[in-house]
Amino acid sequence: MIPALELGLLYSIVALGVYLTFRILNFPDLTVDGSFTTGAAVAASLLVSGTPPVLATLAGGLAGAIAGVITGLLYSKGRINGLLAGILTMIGLWSINLAIMGRSNIPMLRQETLMTPLRENGLMGGPVSILIFAIIALVLKFAIDWFLSTDHGLGIQATGNNEEMIRSLGVNTSRMAIITLALSNALVALAGALIAQYQGFADISMGIGLVLVGLASVIIGQAVIPARAVWWGTLAVILGAIIYRFVIFAALAAGLDPNYMKLISAVLVVVALLLPRWGLLKRVPSLRQAFSGRATRPDLEKEVLESC
Amino acid sequence: MLTLENVTKTFFPGTVNERVALNGVSLHLEAGDFVTVIGSNGAGKSTMLNIISGKIPLDSGDLHIDGKSVRNLKDYQRAKFIGRVFQDPMAGTAPDLTIEQNLALALKRGQPRLFRIGVTSSRREMFTEELKTLELGLENRLKMRVGLLSGGQRQALSLLMASFTQPAILLLDEHTAALDPQRAALVMKLTKAVVEREQLTTLMVTHNMEQALQVGNRLIMMHEGRILLDVKEEEKKKLTVPKLLDFFAQVKGAQLDDRVMLG
Repeated sequence: MIPALELGLLYSIVALGVYLTFRILNFPDLTVDGSFTTGAAVAASLLVSGTPPVLATLAGGLAGAIAGVITGLLYSKGRINGLLAGILTMIGLWSINLAIMGRSNIPMLRQETLMTPLRENGLMGGPVSILIFAIIALVLKFAIDWFLSTDHGLGIQATGNNEEMIRSLGVNTSRMAIITLALSNALVALAGALIAQYQGFADISMGIGLVLVGLASVIIGQAVIPARAVWWGTLAVILGAIIYRFVIFAALAAGLDPNYMKLISAVLVVVALLLPRWGLLKRVPSLRQAFSGRATRPDLEKEVLESC
Repeated sequence: MLTLENVTKTFFPGTVNERVALNGVSLHLEAGDFVTVIGSNGAGKSTMLNIISGKIPLDSGDLHIDGKSVRNLKDYQRAKFIGRVFQDPMAGTAPDLTIEQNLALALKRGQPRLFRIGVTSSRREMFTEELKTLELGLENRLKMRVGLLSGGQRQALSLLMASFTQPAILLLDEHTAALDPQRAALVMKLTKAVVEREQLTTLMVTHNMEQALQVGNRLIMMHEGRILLDVKEEEKKKLTVPKLLDFFAQVKGAQLDDRVMLG
């Protein structure tokens, strides 16, 4: 159970990144499948060549930010559909990740990494490692909360909520999209760098299907805590990432073939998309809006019509 | 304050759907002018507002605000000078953000948005004072999501957000058309009050002739992309709905459509 909690906390950083794009910016960003591996690849390559672990990890996050900027530019300046822009970057990153790593797998078992102090002192898999990972996740959560409550962050929230309105108040919405995508992918890549060090290797295929892991975490979290305010939203996705990991853990413990993990993630997300339509789980904010174009809020329209 | 010089706009040029929306419109607003704009559907009223706000580019002509040409500025760059209330009550506010967050967004109109907390206690006090002017009790609901407000309340909030930073120009695009008569009257009352209080130069498009005659110091009538009638001050006070209808019939020999008649 403890590894599940550790992994859940590390993957909650991915969930925070996905929350920023899917929920706050209302942008279905698929770049994360690629940028997660980019973070891992950059960190692993630098570690192997002797870079201090902290620097290598931060460099991984920075590389993710660059990937996010590319998707943002394709979307806002190139006017390419958001889904396609993310896919293009993601596919392109596969080759770049291979180039960064030089091979498809970099083992780091004997390298000095961020996890080495924990591992050597026998603290991994205990309260200390959990506390440290929880602090990392919470620090990032509070940083996001603060950022989104500043004048700049409010502009980002409004960009995802009512683009025309915020343009009429003088916000360059293209820039907001680029900044949010950069931040989101920086978080995802940072998680990639940390998880590579945690598991002891970076692998070219470690990011495949990651967007579903992030989405599932966001959905589960918001089912548990349905509040729309950012402070609760970020807490919810961290919780969602942990619950998701426990579900996977339980499924594996029950003897399920690990090959079915991706299918389970996909089915979970499909169910979460369909349930609100069938009237069950109505309080879960619909994920569909992220896919069905901006500012379509049937639930809200109804709400407002009724209160008129 | 606001000058349009021979502005033209054609939609879908060179196709079978080609439509001339503005056909050489020139207009000058003095500071403090409150101009109402009437005209039938397709007269170019909304196109004119969209061109002023920068939402759509103009084909030829020029546009000045405060003596500066804004022709080449994007919509979000012009926002510094222009406050706008849309016809759709949903359009002017961010539904998932709270009332105070929406006001914080509007407070930074056209200014750089920095990494400072958007809703501080001093700003909250200011928002409370501003909201009191609406007399809707919204000052007690600062932390409520705007999506939970009624259409009339949202439109009143949009009006406040468009005006309380005193932009050079206030554009109102049939901003009461989607409301029931009672709420439309309320929003109109608030509009008059805020324009007077903040001394705003205002351009208001409306389908309602009564409304166009009641408010403002100047009235223009548009038809097929041109300004046909421009009536100011004393002369405007003498105008009545039948006179307007007569004039319209004379000049164009055309029947007004039902929507204008009913308005």
